[in-house]
Amino acid sequence: MKHWWWKFLAVALVLAASITALRTPLAPAIVHVEPATLQPGTRHAIEVLGYRTQFVPNEVIAYIENGGQFVPAGRVDVIDDTHARIHMYVPEGLREDMSDLLVTAPGAGTMRLFDAFYNPVKGSGATHDIAAEMTVHHRKGFAFPNRNLLYETIRNLNFHVPMWFTMMMLQTVSLVFSILVLRSGAELHDRGAVAAVHASLLFAMMGLVTGSIWARATWGGWWTTDAKLNGAAVTVLIYLAYLVLRGSVTDRAKRARLAAIYNVFAYVLMLLFIMALPRMTASLHPGSGGNPAFSQYDLDSSLRPVFYAAVLGWMGIGAWLLNLRYRLARLEILQEDARIR
Amino acid sequence: MHASAKLFLLTALVAAPNALLAQGNPDWLVDTLYGSGKINTVIAVVAVILLGLAFWLYRLDRRIARMENHHRP
Repeated sequence: MKHWWWKFLAVALVLAASITALRTPLAPAIVHVEPATLQPGTRHAIEVLGYRTQFVPNEVIAYIENGGQFVPAGRVDVIDDTHARIHMYVPEGLREDMSDLLVTAPGAGTMRLFDAFYNPVKGSGATHDIAAEMTVHHRKGFAFPNRNLLYETIRNLNFHVPMWFTMMMLQTVSLVFSILVLRSGAELHDRGAVAAVHASLLFAMMGLVTGSIWARATWGGWWTTDAKLNGAAVTVLIYLAYLVLRGSVTDRAKRARLAAIYNVFAYVLMLLFIMALPRMTASLHPGSGGNPAFSQYDLDSSLRPVFYAAVLGWMGIGAWLLNLRYRLARLEILQEDARIR
Repeated sequence: MHASAKLFLLTALVAAPNALLAQGNPDWLVDTLYGSGKINTVIAVVAVILLGLAFWLYRLDRRIARMENHHRP
């Protein structure tokens, strides 16, 4: 049992995180409005469609937010649980291109549909027909944020991102092995470094493919020329080159040292391409180019505990894969030595 | 395992979820999996991860087989 506890723990964490990631309902939300363009200075009747909402007559409050100004609805007609019609006068002078819709309904708290309306005529701020302030109500209960464009795919956070965390953990282990090689020259450490790179590449490939599928569903393309995406792809190539370089040398001692030196450089490049560069350029990817990773989506912190459990669990699974390969490599060395003798 | 037993197991594995779904969806399933769009993206992502792990097992299996062959007299 002594050597097994962390493997069981990893499986338990991944299982718990995956089940929660798939089972947790999405929060009630406004998913559609019609029309989606505002004509300032006129009355509007806006049809809204809710998801898992329970609209009750006289208990639905609606506002439009534009550049920090709140425009209150005059009247909200409730049609059924998920359909309502908002009547409002939209004043002239709204400053921003896009307006958010804020709807407060029983049990759902205040739901915000980001960039719900396009505002074709811009001004320097409305002076009348705006509310002084607006009360935001928080929803109770455990549910994932329900964001337009993302919808159900927000669950992927708990599958796609842990792949990259695990990749980075394995590459850090590989770096430690390589530093040990440079100090001792031991072949076992070289084999450990290779095993860690092999395992990290598995997670990198799973990260690339899952990210690509997610990009198709939210950005509309399998691949975009984004700093984060290309950085991740280049990282994979750098580590593939490590395997090619190491495989091209036949002398075991020379091979170990050469591969170790390259691996140190590879690690620095990985940090540069995945962590540093994407933060400095414009990017669609959350967590880069000034985009927040969590705070934008996870207002009530429902994603965080699931995500952290998934990351820890997948790191444990990654460590297990590495552990198996490392032990196998140790046996292979013994076998090769036996054959030479 | 006999070929017929394998075939039966495979059929059972494929057919079981469909049989369960046909009995009417429990509420949480409607709410979480079929409620609104893009859930197939999540399913594809989970499938990719499972296939990746299977690929790793396959590679490990081959390596172990190679070692076993060396030891065979």
